[in-house]
Amino acid sequence: MKNACERWKDPLREAALTGTTPRDLEEHLRSCAKCSAELDEERARAARLDALLPLVARGAEPSADFRARVVAGAEAAREGKRARPWRVWTLAGAGAVVAVVLVIGVVMYRRTTQTISFSVTELAAAQKLAEWRAPSDGLLATPGQEILRTMPRLGESYLNVPVKTDEEE
Amino acid sequence: MSALIARAEARSPETGLGERIAENQRRVFQIAYSVLGNAADAEDVAQEAFLRACQKSALLRDTEKFRGWVNRIVFRLALNRKRGHWRRLARDTAWQMNETPTMVDGAKDAEQQVMLDRLRREIERLPGKLRSVLQLSIVEEMEAADVGAVLGIPAGTVRSRLHTARKLLLDAMK
Repeated sequence: MKNACERWKDPLREAALTGTTPRDLEEHLRSCAKCSAELDEERARAARLDALLPLVARGAEPSADFRARVVAGAEAAREGKRARPWRVWTLAGAGAVVAVVLVIGVVMYRRTTQTISFSVTELAAAQKLAEWRAPSDGLLATPGQEILRTMPRLGESYLNVPVKTDEEE
Repeated sequence: MSALIARAEARSPETGLGERIAENQRRVFQIAYSVLGNAADAEDVAQEAFLRACQKSALLRDTEKFRGWVNRIVFRLALNRKRGHWRRLARDTAWQMNETPTMVDGAKDAEQQVMLDRLRREIERLPGKLRSVLQLSIVEEMEAADVGAVLGIPAGTVRSRLHTARKLLLDAMK
C-alpha cells in the first residue's frame, strides 16, 4: 500500500467486515490496484475469522445422555427435598424444646439471684436504720426518764421492775 | 436413556423440565462452551444451570422467561468457573502457563486446532465488555436482543461492540 493510500486502511477494513463499500472508496479502488488487492485480502481474512468464530462456541455438543443426567439430578434433588421435611420438623421441635428449657432456666436463675440480692440489700438498709442515732437525741433526754425507768407501772410491783440499761434501749 | 427420562418425567409431569431442557440444552451448552472452551466443564455448568432452574417452578412454566433466565445464569456460572480455573492454574502451574496450549474440542484438523487455539487466546485478550458480547453472539439462536438481555445492555450496543470486537480480532489474526 502506498503512503497516499494510508488513509484508506480503516475504510478497507470496515468494508471487509461489513461487506459494503462506500462510494469514495469504490472510486479509489478503481484507480488503485494495491488497495483492491488489500481489500480482497481483508475480505478473505474476515471470511476465515467468521468461519472460525462459531467453532469457539459450537465446536462441541453436549453428550447424548446430558438430558437424562439433568432430569435424574433434578429428580434426586426433589427426592432429597421430599425426604427433608421430617428432618426439618424434628430439628425445629428439638430446637424449640431447647429454647424453652433455656428460657425457663434463665428466668429461674434471674429470679433467685434477684431475691438474694434484694434481701441482702434490704437487711443492710434495715441494719443501718436501726443503728442510726440522731445527733440531737441527747438533747431530748428528760429528767423524768430515770423515774420512768425505775418506777413500776400500774399493777406492777417494785420487785418486777426490770433494770434497763442504755444498751437495751 | 429415553426410558429413564420418561420415568423421571412421569414422576413429576407438572414441572416440564425435560421439555425445557430439550428446548434450551444446545444453546445453554454453547454459551458455557464459548466461555470455558472445554466440553466437560461446559456440561457441568449447563447441568448446574438447569438444576437451579428446577428450584424455580414458576420459571419452568414460562418458556420465554425460562430462556432469558437460563441464558443469564449459565453465562455467570461459566464466568465464575473460568475465574476459579484461572486462579487454580495461576497457583498450581504458573511456570508453564504461557507454554501450555489450551485444548479445544471439536476442531476438525491440526491446523484448525492451532487457529482456534490462537483465536481463543486473542478473544481472551479482548477487553471484558467486548469479549462477553462476542462469546454470547457466536452462540446459535442468540440474537443481539438475547445477548443484550444477558448483559443488561441495549441491542444496538451489542451490535456496536460486536463490530469493534471483530475489527480487533481481524487485526490480531493477521
